[in-house]
Amino acid sequence: MPKSQYVDPNKVFEPEFIKFKDIPVNQYKKTLAEEEKEFGKDELVRIYHDMRTIREFETMLNEVKTKSEYNGVQYSNPGPAHLSIGQEASAVGEAYNLDINDLTFGSHRSHGEILAKGLSSIQKLSDEELTKVMEEFLGGDTLKVVKEHTEFKSVKELAQNFLLYGALAEIFARTTGFNRGLGGSMHAFFIPFGIMPNNAIVGGSGPIALGAALYKYSNHKEGIVVANFGDGATGRGPVLEAMNFSNMDQIKKLWNDGAGKGLPILFNVFDNFYGMGGQTRGETMGFDMVARLGAGFDPDEMHAERVNGYDPLAVIDAVGRQKKLLQAGKGPCLLDVVTYRVSGHSPSDSSTYRTPEEIEAWKEADPILAYRKKMVAGGIASDAEFDAIDEKVKNRMTSIMKLAINDELSPRMDLDKNPNAIADLMYSNQHVASLEPGREPEVLIPKEEDPRVKSLATKERYAFDKDGKMFSKMKLFGVRDGLFEAIIDKFYEDPTTIAYGEDNRDWGGAFAVYRGLTEALPYHRFFNAPISESAIVGSAVGYAMCGGRAIVELMYADFIGCAGDEIFNQMAKWQSMSAGILKMPIVLRVSVGSKYGAQHSQDWTALTAHIPGLKVVFPATPYDAKGLMAEALEGTDPVVFFESQRIYDKGEEFHKEGVPTGKFFIPMGEPDVKVPGKDITILTIGAVLYRALDAAKELKEKYGLEAEIIDARSIVPFNYGPVVESVKKTGRIVIVGDACERNSVMRDMASTITELAFDYLDAPPVVVGSRNWITPCFELDDKFFPQASTIIDAISEKILPLAGRVPKANFTTLEKIDRCKKGV
Amino acid sequence: MATPVIMPRQGQSVESCIITSWAKKVGDEVKEGDILFSYETDKSSFDEVAQVSGTMLAILYGEGDEVPCLENVCVIGNAGEDVSAFAKGGEAAPAAAAEAPKAEAAPAAEAPKAEAAATKAENTDGRVFVSPRAKLLAEKTGVDYTLATPTGPDGRIIERDIQTLLDKGVQAAPKAEAAPAAEAPKTEAAPAAPAAEYEDVKLSNVRKVIARSMHDSLANSAQLTLNTSFDATSIQKYRAGVKANAEAMGLQNITLNDIVVFAAAKTLVDFKDLNAHFLDDKIRLFKDVHMGIAVDTPRGLLVPTVFNANHLSLNDLAKESKAVINEAKEGHINPDKLAGASFTVTNLGSFGIETFTPVINPPQVAILGVCGIQTRVRAGKDGAVETYPAMTLSLTIDHRAVDGAPGAKFLKALATNLEHFEQLLAK
Repeated sequence: MPKSQYVDPNKVFEPEFIKFKDIPVNQYKKTLAEEEKEFGKDELVRIYHDMRTIREFETMLNEVKTKSEYNGVQYSNPGPAHLSIGQEASAVGEAYNLDINDLTFGSHRSHGEILAKGLSSIQKLSDEELTKVMEEFLGGDTLKVVKEHTEFKSVKELAQNFLLYGALAEIFARTTGFNRGLGGSMHAFFIPFGIMPNNAIVGGSGPIALGAALYKYSNHKEGIVVANFGDGATGRGPVLEAMNFSNMDQIKKLWNDGAGKGLPILFNVFDNFYGMGGQTRGETMGFDMVARLGAGFDPDEMHAERVNGYDPLAVIDAVGRQKKLLQAGKGPCLLDVVTYRVSGHSPSDSSTYRTPEEIEAWKEADPILAYRKKMVAGGIASDAEFDAIDEKVKNRMTSIMKLAINDELSPRMDLDKNPNAIADLMYSNQHVASLEPGREPEVLIPKEEDPRVKSLATKERYAFDKDGKMFSKMKLFGVRDGLFEAIIDKFYEDPTTIAYGEDNRDWGGAFAVYRGLTEALPYHRFFNAPISESAIVGSAVGYAMCGGRAIVELMYADFIGCAGDEIFNQMAKWQSMSAGILKMPIVLRVSVGSKYGAQHSQDWTALTAHIPGLKVVFPATPYDAKGLMAEALEGTDPVVFFESQRIYDKGEEFHKEGVPTGKFFIPMGEPDVKVPGKDITILTIGAVLYRALDAAKELKEKYGLEAEIIDARSIVPFNYGPVVESVKKTGRIVIVGDACERNSVMRDMASTITELAFDYLDAPPVVVGSRNWITPCFELDDKFFPQASTIIDAISEKILPLAGRVPKANFTTLEKIDRCKKGV
Repeated sequence: MATPVIMPRQGQSVESCIITSWAKKVGDEVKEGDILFSYETDKSSFDEVAQVSGTMLAILYGEGDEVPCLENVCVIGNAGEDVSAFAKGGEAAPAAAAEAPKAEAAPAAEAPKAEAAATKAENTDGRVFVSPRAKLLAEKTGVDYTLATPTGPDGRIIERDIQTLLDKGVQAAPKAEAAPAAEAPKTEAAPAAPAAEYEDVKLSNVRKVIARSMHDSLANSAQLTLNTSFDATSIQKYRAGVKANAEAMGLQNITLNDIVVFAAAKTLVDFKDLNAHFLDDKIRLFKDVHMGIAVDTPRGLLVPTVFNANHLSLNDLAKESKAVINEAKEGHINPDKLAGASFTVTNLGSFGIETFTPVINPPQVAILGVCGIQTRVRAGKDGAVETYPAMTLSLTIDHRAVDGAPGAKFLKALATNLEHFEQLLAK
């Protein structure tokens, strides 16, 4: 909401018409003679070679899946194989004009794109560059196999063997594959050739590619980004969000002082008419042609075009023109490449949704045969030459396949010998101050001149004065200030760091954590995102994949659902699916609300803690907030950072020396004993810490019990050591949090503590969470969220009956059974 | 017809009241005007009197319970009437609900009301619920947790209940000993029954502990028993003398057992190998004699210790020994006094036992069994047959620690000392 852009009521009500310009459809008209002049005979023949290579690769996979045999070699592959037979011309056409710096992201049907981009890159890299890439990749494991066991006459041929073998070994889940076999068919990629991850979630690459484009733009890197997906994916929210996000007005109007440069991203749709079996044009969509979508996103209509994807030369022509537009800062672009998948969606597809006549007609229109005919007719090459290529491709494929199924040369991960092989890849656990050392971070003013930084210098960094009286809220250095300090420190240290989310700039974030960043940071490092949670988180994933650090915010934890796939499947999994090749330095800030009803007050720690690959923290004090944020921002793993709106203004009540002004780290996973005691342990998650303090006070004053309060601080990872030690001492534990009690982190902790300290327990660990209801209005808060009295009631009723205690909350066994029975 | 009694509403703002006490229990006769229960609001307290006569059929809330106003609290009617219609929440209650609920929450953190020994920590189905922590503490301190009064939720024995037992000095479970079990299984002498009739008696925890420690003792050491007897004339005479002058001289009632214990303590000073603990890789020889005395208590066998017995006069020894025996029998002995013995004496003499094989209490290496006095004959000085009182001593030693000869020498020295008891006193 920049003040510079005045919303004028006198203007917005003026009558006018929205005008559209024509979107070209199949307007490629160049003759072969023109193309021969441009590319030369060899290149035209190479295009055939690349298409034939892809066709043979997928024919081999199809034979393996359907007949367990290819060219006399037996093999069965239980994993997925989504083939794109028929789409080779589109893939090769797209890749032709792309350079190493141009990045492609794909879908679950991307074997062709991977090979096309790889073959194109091999053509563009020098022998020295290729040799270096191959030698350095996976310590030379992949290269060793092809170097010793395939035939090649040049480095380029070796590199082609390397590409085919690396991709196939990955599909067959071999440790010599591009991702050690952990990605598989739908997730294969090879960054040195500019092939970025493909995605098994339809449209999953949309927001991720957006993030890569953001990385290129914000860090001034060369190259464009191509988001490949099918026409079916245009029904996906994240794809539409990404298209909208990439067209944000501010990028051209406000970023770089309004230099007018757009994001370098091409949304490339391989439009094969079907999303699995649903026919997009005519059944599941209403756009008639995908290219029309461009008109919905910006006045330039995303320079949308629809081209004949069965003619590689038409695709080359279109991508070439769009690339130039993107390089000139006129993006984003949209390309609708019409193609057809002759093969089924997967080998189990019996094509009940289309007629045999339709498939036959498209087989007759086969782009490879048509291209060959055209070349022979135009005198580019003879049938004999093409036959020779065919034979060579087939022989090469056979020998690559034999290598990829050879258990000795291409072994699977040995989890008996190394049981932690996958566990060790779940997190990268690195500590990196700057992801691009040497480059000066772009800022608008020196940090000391930032108004928030100046104001914080006057705040009290310990909550109490020397008489033990608490300073007024206005004077306190609060939780939000701790978060701010760690974040601004990182902005001045790491030039790749960017932050965005809804209402981050100007407003300062809905809860004022970012107040003061607007003054310090240029737009391309700190901006307001559209209300597009999928695109916000998904783009952070792409940004991190490329080597940057992103801090993204969802405002309310309740919006996690809006970015479900991006958090659960993308952010969480890419480090391990890439066998550690990718890092994921993302901090996803989510705030747990209060006073805001059922859809704005939920603690969803359990959802994120359940997903392998995410780190989850929930600090409750300014000291912990700063230390854990600094740790998260120094790390290379995705961290879901929970905050609570109840306590943003809480001062530091525990560290007498106050919150340090300098940078310090709190290791993730270490719970903190906030108050020592001997009679009962209270383990808190998040803001309930302060209600536990009240409970401890009453337990002491009324019942003579000394409670030990442990603040979990982190949820994943979590060191149970200090908790178990405490339980050994006290024999009793209550676990408290604001989340609904059922299937909560608290329940998980209770179960683990029982396992670890059974013999020391005087009663089962008791969970005090919120009721399994909707969150009612604020006035009924105390009936829903745990209170000090609920904690004491739970202790008296379930652990240690307290003299004279008349419980308000119902902790009886009958009630428990009844609630479970009713599911409430 | 059964009539429910509701919790009255004492004022518009009152939502619920707390029952402070019940004057009637289920099955009691109720007359119109009788006080049924007392209750209180946050401001004042009231008594509820019966409006009808009959029998108290059901009590739906216990003492300390908070009852919403206008809810049914109890039911009065004729014995045997169905009261299920009046159950809490309007649902039909099982017949068992007619019992008054236990008022468990109220006394809570206070010391348990009932005497530990009087209450068995048993649930209705006979199971004892005990927390793992309480069980661990009971095992560590050798306390029988079934004696604890449960104060935890749902009648569970929790740590503090075991602590209460320990604070009160309730008996530890018995150590390994030789005497017969206190609780002999009840077996009826079946008169030549054609088919075997029997009764299965479940092992008490005390029995289980004895069983385990006895078996461990025999399984893990090399025990052998030496028997001898001595002329008890001297000690009988001495005892008679003490008895006659006890009152005048302010002496204890000194028993024959006291005399044997005294003699053993004095004699052991010269036989350190037997006043010892066998600790696998070493033998711990004690400077002084800490005499364990086996006692048959109502709960089983206990072995309280008289520390530094070799330094005590016979009178002091008798006094001390009586004190610990009584503490053990009454069940409030300090657990420290149930450990630490370096040697044990066990006496089955009063049962007329002539000889037996006492079982060692590890890690001690020897135990002395004292048998009854029998009249025996022997050749007198003039060759004529004469009778004399003979007492048998059965010494079990652990052959891993002590050989037969030193054991026999000790027995011989002890017998000599007892035969010349007055001289021993002079030592």
